[in-house]
Amino acid sequence: MAYTASRAGSVNSTVKRVRTWYALLLLVIGIFGVRLFYLQVIRYDHYKTAALHDQLHQKVIPATRGTIEAHDGEKTIPIVLNQKLYTVFADPVDIKTYKTDVDKAAVRLASTLGGEVDGYAKKLQAKDTRYVILAKKVTPEQRTKLLSYKLAGLYSEERDYRTYPQGSMAAQVLGFVSDEGQGDYGLEQALNKQLAGTPGELKAITDQSGVPLAASRGNVQTAPKNGDDLVLTVNMGMQAQLERILADQYKKTKSKGLSAVIMDPATGKIKAMANYPSYDPAKYSEVNDPKIFENASVSEAIEPGSTMKLLTAAAALDQGVIKPDTTYFDPSKFVIDDFTVKNIEEDGGARQQSIASVLNLSLNTGATWMLMQMGGGSINTKARTAWYDYLTSHFQFGNDSNIEQGYETAGLVTKPANNGAGINLTYANMSFGQGILVTPLQMTAAVSSIINGGTYYQPYLVDSTTDSNGKTTTTKPKVVKQNVVSPEVSRAMIPLMEYIVDEHYKEGFSYLNFSDSYAVGGKTGTAQIANPSGGYYADKYNGTYTGFVGGNDAQYVITVFNTQPSVNGYAGSYGGQPIFGDIAHMLIDNGYVTPKTR
Amino acid sequence: MTYSSSLAMSRSRFAGRNQNAVSFRVEERTLGPISNTIILIVLACLLGLLYLTQVTKTNAYGFQINSLQEQSATLQTQHDDLEVASARLQSLPKVQASAAAKALTPVAPSDTIQQ
Repeated sequence: MAYTASRAGSVNSTVKRVRTWYALLLLVIGIFGVRLFYLQVIRYDHYKTAALHDQLHQKVIPATRGTIEAHDGEKTIPIVLNQKLYTVFADPVDIKTYKTDVDKAAVRLASTLGGEVDGYAKKLQAKDTRYVILAKKVTPEQRTKLLSYKLAGLYSEERDYRTYPQGSMAAQVLGFVSDEGQGDYGLEQALNKQLAGTPGELKAITDQSGVPLAASRGNVQTAPKNGDDLVLTVNMGMQAQLERILADQYKKTKSKGLSAVIMDPATGKIKAMANYPSYDPAKYSEVNDPKIFENASVSEAIEPGSTMKLLTAAAALDQGVIKPDTTYFDPSKFVIDDFTVKNIEEDGGARQQSIASVLNLSLNTGATWMLMQMGGGSINTKARTAWYDYLTSHFQFGNDSNIEQGYETAGLVTKPANNGAGINLTYANMSFGQGILVTPLQMTAAVSSIINGGTYYQPYLVDSTTDSNGKTTTTKPKVVKQNVVSPEVSRAMIPLMEYIVDEHYKEGFSYLNFSDSYAVGGKTGTAQIANPSGGYYADKYNGTYTGFVGGNDAQYVITVFNTQPSVNGYAGSYGGQPIFGDIAHMLIDNGYVTPKTR
Repeated sequence: MTYSSSLAMSRSRFAGRNQNAVSFRVEERTLGPISNTIILIVLACLLGLLYLTQVTKTNAYGFQINSLQEQSATLQTQHDDLEVASARLQSLPKVQASAAAKALTPVAPSDTIQQ
């Protein structure tokens, strides 16, 4: 009986202990549960954010900027490529924290990257910043050498930089890409979006070293869409020689600036376009005058002077108010709005003149007379309206050409309405190229349209584009206006322009000696320069020339603008014409021109 | 007592003796709660282990992919560098400065050709 009671007591005690521990266990589990509920439910967002902050890596995958090539005979050659280079920078706080030997580091930086030791030492100890750029465009070899020194606090970041295998060639046409990756000036600016592409994105849970964990759900990787590769219409050989000619003539004519354009009149393709002085786009940051960055051929509009007479004649011929063989009595001066329009002394006095002699002698009165014929014999609303229509709607002056260039200017054409400020005189001036602002490119395209049968093609530089999928699209010539002048007028303009070159050769400009196998024509322009305080400078002129070179047909139209050349003679004849002569010979001598077959 | 009931009683009396062929006692052996728990824990561990091996394996592929991507990027960079070097070596300024180019005679201008 006693044994049974004792055993029952022991069992009860055990049950109690078990129950106690069980209760304790439940309590602990309960505490854990509450805590887990707090951490995982109530504080869910906080801890998720904190975890992702460490684990989730987000970065932009940069798109590769499109390359640019140009024609070199049958093949194309690269003129703008990308190269991965490095920016080396220091974190002065880390340098202090890791006790990096500043003097030693500065010596090693100078020996590897070049530059002054003191300069580096100063940068390494900079205050109030954690990012000091020590060098840009560091090559992989230089970076590897720097890494081998194990200098704590020095870092590098990889970047795509534009590189120019052809040096400074076509610099102003190309433009450059700033450190921020933005295209500036030229093609780089005009086609920045197309060249830049679209960056991709990587969002992934990574390990400590930043390697994405493949098993992680929700990783996002969007591939970048690289920029389009471009092939330009530019012929590199032609471009190189045009630049050489401009550099030579810049010295010879003691010019303040030169621009020249060579265009295919049958398509609008720009074969070469250059300005002088120029710059090296790889060293754009060393240029002090930002004006140098501009492609003056499209961004600098000036009064073109007498080259405009070609267009005045073409417009008058197209309206049927004159004929190619028309003659008239030239009074040698016209008084318009109390101002006298006259010719240069060498042109002689009042006498009978022809359309050919008006162009050859560059008679201002002849151009004014042609304008008068558009108004039925005087400069009036009809004449002004007709001339304005030809200038803006036919020859496209005052409009952007929409060539793929940054900072293009539309120029200026005064409207024909009477503005009370001597509008008839303004229009008389416009007939011989004063009081109107045009760019070399606009003049090239306009003259092309009067000798190619009467079609105005939009000038363009991009021959083809290849997108990131490898699809190539060739640019088709775009017709802006047909019937700029009639085909008959167009056919008449070519011999008139050839006549001018022949006559100038006979006058002693020996460099205008061309083989009969080629057709060469053109017109000089000596333009007075407007004085900002009113009127024109008495002693400052720009020299211009617009002409063509071809065989059976005109194959190239060339325009030259020479800013204030210091020459002994008229700026057009001695500052513009010799450059045209050099370019025409260059084209013929290098076999770019197909000779006549008939 | 009938004959059949008498027979049944006598069989039941000697049932133990006659059970050499067939056992009449069925003893059910079932797993207790502790065993069940242990088995569940082991199974859960096995599943966890399987998951971990698969995740580790997948992540190892991630490393491999990353390594291949880095390799591809390095090769692309090398390709780009070589392309730049090639373009520079074939560039007009380089060709113009070459010894071969310097030995060339300039082309006669067109105005002298016809004379």
